[in-house]
Amino acid sequence: MNSALKALIEALIFVSQEPVTLAALQAVCEGVPADEIQAAVDELVRDGEAEGRGVRVLRAGGGWILATKPAHDREVRRLLQIERKNRLSSAGLETLAAIAYRQPVTQSEVSAIRGVDSTGALKTLLEKRLIKIVGRKKAPGNPLVYRTSDEFLLYLGLDSLEGLPSEAEIAKILEEEKAVEA
Amino acid sequence: MPETPEEPLPGGDTPVAPPGPEAAADGYQVRLDVFEGPLDLLLFLIRKKKIDIHDIPIAAITRDYLGYLERKTEINLDREAEFVFIAALLIYIKSQMLLPRETDLAESEDPRRVLVDRLLEYEKVKAACSLLREREDVQILQWKRDFLPPLHGEGELEPLELSSFDLAESFFRLMKRRADDTRVIHGREVPVEAKMKELVTLLQARHVLDFLEYFESAESIEEALVSFFCLLELVKSRVAVAVQDELFQTIRVWLRKDPRRTAPHE
Repeated sequence: MNSALKALIEALIFVSQEPVTLAALQAVCEGVPADEIQAAVDELVRDGEAEGRGVRVLRAGGGWILATKPAHDREVRRLLQIERKNRLSSAGLETLAAIAYRQPVTQSEVSAIRGVDSTGALKTLLEKRLIKIVGRKKAPGNPLVYRTSDEFLLYLGLDSLEGLPSEAEIAKILEEEKAVEA
Repeated sequence: MPETPEEPLPGGDTPVAPPGPEAAADGYQVRLDVFEGPLDLLLFLIRKKKIDIHDIPIAAITRDYLGYLERKTEINLDREAEFVFIAALLIYIKSQMLLPRETDLAESEDPRRVLVDRLLEYEKVKAACSLLREREDVQILQWKRDFLPPLHGEGELEPLELSSFDLAESFFRLMKRRADDTRVIHGREVPVEAKMKELVTLLQARHVLDFLEYFESAESIEEALVSFFCLLELVKSRVAVAVQDELFQTIRVWLRKDPRRTAPHE
Protein backbone atom coordinates (compact mmCIF):
# COMPACT_ATOMS: atom_id res chain seq x y z
CA MET A 1 0.00 0.00 0.00
CA ASN A 2 1.22 3.43 -0.91
CA SER A 3 1.13 5.08 2.53
CA ALA A 4 2.52 8.37 1.28
CA LEU A 5 -0.40 8.67 -1.13
CA LYS A 6 -2.84 7.78 1.63
CA ALA A 7 -1.43 10.51 3.87
CA LEU A 8 -1.59 13.04 1.06
CA ILE A 9 -5.20 12.22 0.29
CA GLU A 10 -6.14 12.47 3.94
CA ALA A 11 -4.60 15.95 3.99
CA LEU A 12 -6.52 16.95 0.88
CA ILE A 13 -9.83 15.75 2.28
CA PHE A 14 -9.06 17.51 5.56
CA VAL A 15 -8.53 20.94 4.05
CA SER A 16 -11.57 20.76 1.82
CA GLN A 17 -14.85 22.06 3.14
CA GLU A 18 -16.85 20.31 0.46
CA PRO A 19 -16.72 16.73 -0.73
CA VAL A 20 -13.52 16.01 -2.67
CA THR A 21 -14.26 14.12 -5.83
CA LEU A 22 -12.08 11.47 -7.40
CA ALA A 23 -11.56 13.82 -10.32
CA ALA A 24 -10.29 16.54 -7.98
CA LEU A 25 -7.85 14.13 -6.32
CA GLN A 26 -6.64 12.97 -9.72
CA ALA A 27 -6.06 16.52 -10.82
CA VAL A 28 -3.93 17.21 -7.75
CA CYS A 29 -2.04 13.92 -7.73
CA GLU A 30 -0.72 14.18 -11.23
CA GLY A 31 0.10 10.93 -12.87
CA VAL A 32 -1.34 8.70 -10.18
CA PRO A 33 -3.81 6.22 -11.65
CA ALA A 34 -7.40 6.42 -10.48
CA ASP A 35 -7.46 2.91 -9.06
CA GLU A 36 -4.49 3.69 -6.82
CA ILE A 37 -6.22 6.77 -5.51
CA GLN A 38 -9.40 4.80 -5.00
CA ALA A 39 -7.49 2.10 -3.10
CA ALA A 40 -5.90 4.73 -0.85
CA VAL A 41 -9.28 6.30 -0.14
CA ASP A 42 -10.81 2.90 0.60
CA GLU A 43 -8.10 2.27 3.16
CA LEU A 44 -8.67 5.72 4.72
CA VAL A 45 -12.35 4.88 5.01
CA ARG A 46 -11.49 1.59 6.70
CA ASP A 47 -8.99 3.29 9.04
CA GLY A 48 -11.63 5.75 10.14
CA GLU A 49 -13.94 2.99 11.28
CA ALA A 50 -11.36 1.81 13.83
CA GLU A 51 -12.34 2.40 17.42
CA GLY A 52 -9.30 4.49 18.15
CA ARG A 53 -10.24 7.09 15.55
CA GLY A 54 -12.53 10.07 16.13
CA VAL A 55 -12.71 11.29 12.57
CA ARG A 56 -13.58 9.22 9.57
CA VAL A 57 -13.89 9.62 5.84
CA LEU A 58 -17.44 9.51 4.54
CA ARG A 59 -18.78 9.23 1.04
CA ALA A 60 -21.30 12.02 0.43
CA GLY A 61 -22.30 14.53 -2.22
CA GLY A 62 -20.30 12.81 -4.94
CA GLY A 63 -17.01 12.86 -3.02
CA TRP A 64 -15.32 12.24 0.29
CA ILE A 65 -15.54 14.33 3.37
CA LEU A 66 -14.30 14.10 6.95
CA ALA A 67 -16.84 13.81 9.73
CA THR A 68 -16.94 13.05 13.42
CA LYS A 69 -18.70 9.97 14.73
CA PRO A 70 -22.23 10.04 16.14
CA ALA A 71 -20.94 8.79 19.52
CA HIS A 72 -19.07 12.05 20.07
CA ASP A 73 -21.94 14.37 19.27
CA ARG A 74 -22.57 15.46 22.84
CA GLU A 75 -18.98 16.42 23.57
CA VAL A 76 -18.55 18.12 20.22
CA ARG A 77 -21.58 20.27 20.94
CA ARG A 78 -20.28 21.05 24.40
CA LEU A 79 -17.03 22.32 22.90
CA LEU A 80 -18.84 24.38 20.29
CA GLN A 81 -21.39 25.51 22.86
CA ILE A 82 -24.32 24.40 20.80
CA GLU A 83 -27.41 23.28 22.66
CA ARG A 84 -28.50 20.95 19.89
CA LYS A 85 -28.81 20.86 16.16
CA ASN A 86 -32.35 21.45 15.05
CA ARG A 87 -33.96 18.85 12.89
CA LEU A 88 -36.14 20.05 10.09
CA SER A 89 -39.78 20.64 11.01
CA SER A 90 -42.15 18.04 9.64
CA ALA A 91 -43.51 20.64 7.21
CA GLY A 92 -39.95 21.39 6.12
CA LEU A 93 -39.06 17.75 5.67
CA GLU A 94 -42.27 17.03 3.78
CA THR A 95 -41.61 19.94 1.45
CA LEU A 96 -38.02 18.81 0.98
CA ALA A 97 -39.13 15.26 0.17
CA ALA A 98 -41.67 16.53 -2.36
CA ILE A 99 -38.95 18.59 -4.06
CA ALA A 100 -36.35 15.83 -3.92
CA TYR A 101 -38.62 13.34 -5.67
CA ARG A 102 -40.37 15.66 -8.11
CA GLN A 103 -37.64 18.10 -9.03
CA PRO A 104 -37.54 20.40 -10.85
CA VAL A 105 -40.73 21.77 -9.29
CA THR A 106 -42.51 25.04 -8.67
CA GLN A 107 -44.01 26.27 -5.45
CA SER A 108 -47.55 25.53 -6.62
CA GLU A 109 -46.62 21.97 -7.61
CA VAL A 110 -45.14 21.33 -4.17
CA SER A 111 -48.20 22.87 -2.53
CA ALA A 112 -50.47 20.66 -4.63
CA ILE A 113 -48.64 17.51 -3.58
CA ARG A 114 -48.88 18.45 0.10
CA GLY A 115 -52.36 20.00 -0.08
CA VAL A 116 -50.89 22.83 1.95
CA ASP A 117 -49.43 26.19 0.99
CA SER A 118 -45.67 25.64 1.03
CA THR A 119 -44.36 29.16 0.44
CA GLY A 120 -43.03 29.52 3.97
CA ALA A 121 -41.43 26.08 4.04
CA LEU A 122 -39.69 26.78 0.73
CA LYS A 123 -38.29 30.02 2.09
CA THR A 124 -36.87 28.25 5.14
CA LEU A 125 -35.31 25.53 3.00
CA LEU A 126 -33.76 28.18 0.75
CA GLU A 127 -32.30 29.93 3.79
CA LYS A 128 -30.87 26.62 4.95
CA ARG A 129 -29.50 26.24 1.42
CA LEU A 130 -31.00 22.76 1.14
CA ILE A 131 -32.76 23.80 -2.04
CA LYS A 132 -31.90 26.24 -4.78
CA ILE A 133 -33.66 28.19 -7.47
CA VAL A 134 -32.65 26.95 -10.89
CA GLY A 135 -34.73 29.20 -13.10
CA ARG A 136 -38.25 30.02 -14.12
CA LYS A 137 -40.82 27.82 -15.72
CA LYS A 138 -42.17 28.83 -19.09
CA ALA A 139 -45.72 28.85 -17.82
CA PRO A 140 -48.20 31.57 -16.87
CA GLY A 141 -46.62 33.80 -14.25
CA ASN A 142 -43.16 32.36 -14.92
CA PRO A 143 -42.96 30.68 -11.52
CA LEU A 144 -39.58 29.93 -9.94
CA VAL A 145 -38.28 26.41 -10.31
CA TYR A 146 -36.62 24.65 -7.39
CA ARG A 147 -34.15 21.81 -7.04
CA THR A 148 -32.31 20.28 -4.14
CA SER A 149 -28.77 21.58 -3.60
CA ASP A 150 -25.39 19.94 -2.98
CA GLU A 151 -25.85 20.84 0.67
CA PHE A 152 -28.97 18.71 0.63
CA LEU A 153 -26.95 15.62 -0.31
CA LEU A 154 -24.44 16.38 2.40
CA TYR A 155 -27.15 17.08 4.94
CA LEU A 156 -28.67 13.65 4.48
CA GLY A 157 -25.36 11.90 3.80
CA LEU A 158 -26.35 10.95 0.27
CA ASP A 159 -23.81 10.39 -2.45
CA SER A 160 -26.21 11.47 -5.18
CA LEU A 161 -29.93 11.80 -5.77
CA GLU A 162 -29.92 8.14 -6.75
CA GLY A 163 -29.31 7.41 -3.09
CA LEU A 164 -32.76 8.67 -2.14
CA PRO A 165 -35.03 5.95 -0.78
CA SER A 166 -36.36 4.02 -3.77
CA GLU A 167 -39.95 3.32 -4.73
CA ALA A 168 -39.49 -0.22 -3.37
CA GLU A 169 -38.25 1.03 -0.01
CA ILE A 170 -41.14 3.46 0.20
CA ALA A 171 -43.62 0.73 -0.69
CA LYS A 172 -42.11 -1.44 2.04
CA ILE A 173 -42.57 1.33 4.63
CA LEU A 174 -46.19 1.75 3.57
CA GLU A 175 -46.83 -1.97 3.92
CA GLU A 176 -45.22 -2.03 7.33
CA GLU A 177 -47.35 0.88 8.45
CA LYS A 178 -50.48 -0.87 7.26
CA ALA A 179 -49.42 -4.09 8.98
CA VAL A 180 -48.99 -2.23 12.27
CA GLU A 181 -52.45 -0.74 12.01
CA ALA A 182 -54.16 -3.96 10.99
CA MET B 1 -75.03 16.86 2.54
CA PRO B 2 -77.82 14.38 1.84
CA GLU B 3 -77.75 10.89 3.25
CA THR B 4 -77.00 8.38 0.59
CA PRO B 5 -78.57 4.97 0.77
CA GLU B 6 -75.80 3.01 -0.88
CA GLU B 7 -73.22 4.03 1.68
CA PRO B 8 -74.30 3.31 5.22
CA LEU B 9 -72.54 5.49 7.76
CA PRO B 10 -70.51 3.45 10.15
CA GLY B 11 -70.20 4.03 13.85
CA GLY B 12 -72.69 6.84 14.50
CA ASP B 13 -71.91 10.51 14.38
CA THR B 14 -68.79 10.88 16.51
CA PRO B 15 -65.70 11.15 14.43
CA VAL B 16 -62.70 9.16 15.43
CA ALA B 17 -60.29 10.90 17.77
CA PRO B 18 -56.95 12.14 16.55
CA PRO B 19 -53.95 10.07 17.56
CA GLY B 20 -51.67 10.76 20.49
CA PRO B 21 -52.27 11.73 24.10
CA GLU B 22 -53.46 15.18 23.07
CA ALA B 23 -56.55 13.53 21.69
CA ALA B 24 -58.34 13.95 24.99
CA ALA B 25 -58.09 17.71 24.81
CA ASP B 26 -60.47 18.33 21.99
CA GLY B 27 -60.27 21.27 19.66
CA TYR B 28 -58.85 22.45 16.42
CA GLN B 29 -55.45 23.34 17.82
CA VAL B 30 -54.81 19.72 18.70
CA ARG B 31 -55.67 18.66 15.23
CA LEU B 32 -53.48 21.29 13.65
CA ASP B 33 -50.52 20.01 15.58
CA VAL B 34 -51.20 16.45 14.64
CA PHE B 35 -51.96 16.78 10.94
CA GLU B 36 -49.72 18.35 8.37
CA GLY B 37 -52.70 19.26 6.21
CA PRO B 38 -56.02 18.09 4.80
CA LEU B 39 -54.49 15.17 2.89
CA ASP B 40 -52.81 14.01 6.06
CA LEU B 41 -56.13 14.11 7.88
CA LEU B 42 -57.85 12.21 5.09
CA LEU B 43 -55.18 9.54 5.04
CA PHE B 44 -55.51 9.18 8.78
CA LEU B 45 -59.27 8.70 8.51
CA ILE B 46 -58.90 6.21 5.70
CA ARG B 47 -56.41 4.12 7.63
CA LYS B 48 -58.31 4.39 10.87
CA LYS B 49 -61.35 2.90 9.22
CA LYS B 50 -59.27 0.39 7.26
CA ILE B 51 -60.73 1.66 4.06
CA ASP B 52 -59.34 0.57 0.71
CA ILE B 53 -57.85 3.73 -0.72
CA HIS B 54 -58.95 2.71 -4.21
CA ASP B 55 -62.56 2.36 -3.12
CA ILE B 56 -63.28 5.17 -0.71
CA PRO B 57 -66.86 5.49 0.56
CA ILE B 58 -67.00 9.21 -0.07
CA ALA B 59 -70.09 9.99 2.00
CA ALA B 60 -68.75 8.31 5.13
CA ILE B 61 -65.31 9.82 4.84
CA THR B 62 -66.76 13.25 4.12
CA ARG B 63 -68.89 13.07 7.23
CA ASP B 64 -65.90 12.17 9.39
CA TYR B 65 -63.82 14.82 7.73
CA LEU B 66 -66.43 17.52 8.25
CA GLY B 67 -66.78 16.32 11.82
CA TYR B 68 -63.19 17.32 12.35
CA LEU B 69 -63.65 20.68 10.75
CA GLU B 70 -66.62 21.41 13.00
CA ARG B 71 -64.60 20.75 16.10
CA LYS B 72 -62.53 23.84 15.56
CA THR B 73 -62.29 26.26 18.43
CA GLU B 74 -59.92 28.68 16.82
CA ILE B 75 -59.76 29.76 13.26
CA ASN B 76 -56.57 29.99 11.33
CA LEU B 77 -57.80 31.29 8.01
CA ASP B 78 -54.95 30.06 5.84
CA ARG B 79 -55.08 26.53 7.13
CA GLU B 80 -58.85 26.59 7.28
CA ALA B 81 -59.01 27.34 3.58
CA GLU B 82 -56.90 24.31 2.73
CA PHE B 83 -59.07 22.02 4.80
CA VAL B 84 -62.26 23.50 3.38
CA PHE B 85 -60.91 23.15 -0.14
CA ILE B 86 -60.56 19.40 0.26
CA ALA B 87 -64.01 19.26 1.89
CA ALA B 88 -65.39 20.96 -1.19
CA LEU B 89 -63.57 18.46 -3.38
CA LEU B 90 -65.08 15.57 -1.42
CA ILE B 91 -68.57 16.95 -1.81
CA TYR B 92 -68.00 17.61 -5.48
CA ILE B 93 -66.86 14.03 -6.00
CA LYS B 94 -69.94 12.74 -4.18
CA SER B 95 -72.19 14.87 -6.36
CA GLN B 96 -70.49 13.49 -9.45
CA MET B 97 -71.07 9.96 -8.24
CA LEU B 98 -74.75 10.63 -7.63
CA LEU B 99 -75.39 11.77 -11.17
CA PRO B 100 -77.36 9.19 -13.12
CA ARG B 101 -75.44 7.92 -16.13
CA GLU B 102 -76.44 6.02 -19.19
CA THR B 103 -73.54 3.63 -19.01
CA ASP B 104 -71.34 2.53 -16.16
CA LEU B 105 -68.20 4.54 -15.74
CA ALA B 106 -64.91 3.00 -16.69
CA GLU B 107 -62.41 2.82 -13.87
CA SER B 108 -60.41 5.67 -15.33
CA GLU B 109 -63.48 7.88 -15.21
CA ASP B 110 -64.16 7.32 -11.52
CA PRO B 111 -64.73 10.80 -10.05
CA ARG B 112 -62.71 9.70 -7.04
CA ARG B 113 -59.66 9.23 -9.22
CA VAL B 114 -58.36 12.80 -8.77
CA LEU B 115 -58.43 12.48 -5.02
CA VAL B 116 -57.03 8.96 -4.92
CA ASP B 117 -54.08 9.92 -7.09
CA ARG B 118 -53.30 12.82 -4.80
CA LEU B 119 -53.64 10.70 -1.69
CA LEU B 120 -51.38 7.99 -3.09
CA GLU B 121 -48.74 10.50 -4.04
CA TYR B 122 -48.96 12.22 -0.68
CA GLU B 123 -48.76 8.87 1.08
CA LYS B 124 -45.51 8.16 -0.74
CA VAL B 125 -44.06 11.53 0.20
CA LYS B 126 -44.93 10.86 3.82
CA ALA B 127 -43.30 7.45 3.74
CA ALA B 128 -40.22 8.94 2.10
CA CYS B 129 -40.21 11.52 4.90
CA SER B 130 -39.89 8.88 7.57
CA LEU B 131 -36.93 7.34 5.74
CA LEU B 132 -35.29 10.72 5.24
CA ARG B 133 -35.88 11.54 8.90
CA GLU B 134 -33.94 8.42 9.88
CA ARG B 135 -31.05 9.58 7.74
CA GLU B 136 -31.24 13.07 9.17
CA ASP B 137 -31.17 11.74 12.72
CA VAL B 138 -27.89 9.93 12.03
CA GLN B 139 -26.30 12.66 9.96
CA ILE B 140 -27.09 15.37 12.44
CA LEU B 141 -24.82 13.66 14.96
CA GLN B 142 -21.85 13.66 12.61
CA TRP B 143 -20.06 16.96 12.40
CA LYS B 144 -18.64 17.92 9.08
CA ARG B 145 -16.40 20.86 8.48
CA ASP B 146 -18.81 22.81 6.31
CA PHE B 147 -21.41 22.82 9.05
CA LEU B 148 -19.03 23.87 11.78
CA PRO B 149 -19.97 27.29 13.05
CA PRO B 150 -17.17 29.79 13.50
CA LEU B 151 -15.67 29.56 16.98
CA HIS B 152 -15.51 33.33 17.24
CA GLY B 153 -18.65 35.34 17.60
CA GLU B 154 -19.91 36.82 14.41
CA GLY B 155 -18.90 40.35 13.57
CA GLU B 156 -15.54 39.88 15.25
CA LEU B 157 -13.20 40.41 12.36
CA GLU B 158 -9.84 38.77 12.25
CA PRO B 159 -6.99 41.28 12.01
CA LEU B 160 -5.35 40.86 8.66
CA GLU B 161 -1.79 41.44 7.70
CA LEU B 162 -1.74 43.82 4.81
CA SER B 163 0.98 45.55 2.90
CA SER B 164 0.65 49.03 1.55
CA PHE B 165 0.44 47.45 -1.89
CA ASP B 166 -2.68 45.56 -0.86
CA LEU B 167 -4.16 48.77 0.37
CA ALA B 168 -3.27 50.61 -2.82
CA GLU B 169 -4.62 47.78 -4.93
CA SER B 170 -7.91 47.77 -3.07
CA PHE B 171 -8.13 51.49 -3.48
CA PHE B 172 -7.58 51.34 -7.23
CA ARG B 173 -10.00 48.49 -7.59
CA LEU B 174 -12.55 50.51 -5.72
CA MET B 175 -11.95 53.54 -7.91
CA LYS B 176 -12.23 51.40 -11.00
CA ARG B 177 -15.51 50.00 -9.80
CA ARG B 178 -16.69 53.54 -9.22
CA ALA B 179 -15.66 54.44 -12.71
CA ASP B 180 -17.56 51.43 -14.02
CA ASP B 181 -20.55 52.48 -12.01
CA THR B 182 -20.57 55.96 -13.41
CA ARG B 183 -22.37 55.63 -16.64
CA VAL B 184 -22.48 58.40 -19.16
CA ILE B 185 -25.90 58.54 -20.65
CA HIS B 186 -25.85 59.55 -24.26
CA GLY B 187 -28.99 61.17 -25.42
CA ARG B 188 -30.75 59.55 -28.28
CA GLU B 189 -30.40 61.56 -31.43
CA VAL B 190 -33.79 62.58 -32.62
CA PRO B 191 -33.89 63.63 -36.26
CA VAL B 192 -36.52 66.26 -37.05
CA GLU B 193 -37.81 64.26 -40.04
CA ALA B 194 -38.50 61.17 -37.99
CA LYS B 195 -40.19 63.16 -35.27
CA MET B 196 -42.25 64.99 -37.85
CA LYS B 197 -43.49 61.74 -39.33
CA GLU B 198 -44.31 60.40 -35.90
CA LEU B 199 -46.24 63.53 -35.03
CA VAL B 200 -48.23 63.52 -38.26
CA THR B 201 -49.09 59.83 -37.87
CA LEU B 202 -50.28 60.55 -34.39
CA LEU B 203 -52.36 63.50 -35.55
CA GLN B 204 -53.98 61.39 -38.24
CA ALA B 205 -54.91 58.78 -35.70
CA ARG B 206 -56.10 61.05 -32.94
CA HIS B 207 -57.62 64.04 -34.73
CA VAL B 208 -56.83 66.34 -31.80
CA LEU B 209 -53.60 66.10 -29.88
CA ASP B 210 -52.89 67.45 -26.43
CA PHE B 211 -49.45 68.81 -27.19
CA LEU B 212 -48.46 69.37 -23.56
CA GLU B 213 -49.03 65.70 -22.86
CA TYR B 214 -47.06 64.73 -25.92
CA PHE B 215 -44.29 67.13 -24.98
CA GLU B 216 -44.03 65.68 -21.50
CA SER B 217 -43.95 62.10 -22.72
CA ALA B 218 -40.67 62.80 -24.50
CA GLU B 219 -37.76 60.80 -23.11
CA SER B 220 -35.28 63.63 -23.12
CA ILE B 221 -35.24 67.39 -23.24
CA GLU B 222 -33.71 67.15 -26.67
CA GLU B 223 -36.56 64.99 -27.94
CA ALA B 224 -39.10 67.35 -26.40
CA LEU B 225 -37.47 70.32 -28.06
CA VAL B 226 -37.37 68.59 -31.41
CA SER B 227 -41.05 67.78 -31.11
CA PHE B 228 -41.72 71.45 -30.49
CA PHE B 229 -39.69 72.41 -33.55
CA CYS B 230 -41.78 69.94 -35.50
CA LEU B 231 -44.96 71.53 -34.29
CA LEU B 232 -43.73 74.96 -35.38
CA GLU B 233 -42.69 73.52 -38.70
CA LEU B 234 -46.08 71.86 -39.25
CA VAL B 235 -47.90 75.03 -38.42
CA LYS B 236 -45.66 77.08 -40.67
CA SER B 237 -46.14 74.73 -43.61
CA ARG B 238 -49.90 74.87 -42.94
CA VAL B 239 -50.19 71.15 -42.32
CA ALA B 240 -51.48 71.52 -38.80
CA VAL B 241 -53.35 73.99 -36.69
CA ALA B 242 -52.24 74.74 -33.14
CA VAL B 243 -54.47 76.54 -30.68
CA GLN B 244 -53.65 77.57 -27.17
CA ASP B 245 -56.73 78.85 -25.38
CA GLU B 246 -54.85 80.49 -22.58
CA LEU B 247 -51.29 81.24 -21.64
CA PHE B 248 -49.59 78.23 -20.01
CA GLN B 249 -52.51 76.04 -21.00
CA THR B 250 -52.03 73.08 -23.25
CA ILE B 251 -51.85 73.48 -26.99
CA ARG B 252 -54.39 71.57 -29.01
CA VAL B 253 -53.15 70.44 -32.38
CA TRP B 254 -55.02 68.99 -35.30
CA LEU B 255 -54.41 68.48 -39.00
CA ARG B 256 -55.65 71.16 -41.29
CA LYS B 257 -58.36 69.83 -43.57
CA ASP B 258 -57.07 71.97 -46.36
CA PRO B 259 -56.66 70.43 -49.82
CA ARG B 260 -53.59 72.56 -50.47
CA ARG B 261 -51.62 71.14 -47.57
CA THR B 262 -48.77 68.81 -48.29
CA ALA B 263 -49.07 66.12 -45.69
CA PRO B 264 -46.23 63.62 -45.80
CA HIS B 265 -48.57 60.66 -45.37
CA GLU B 266 -51.29 60.64 -47.93
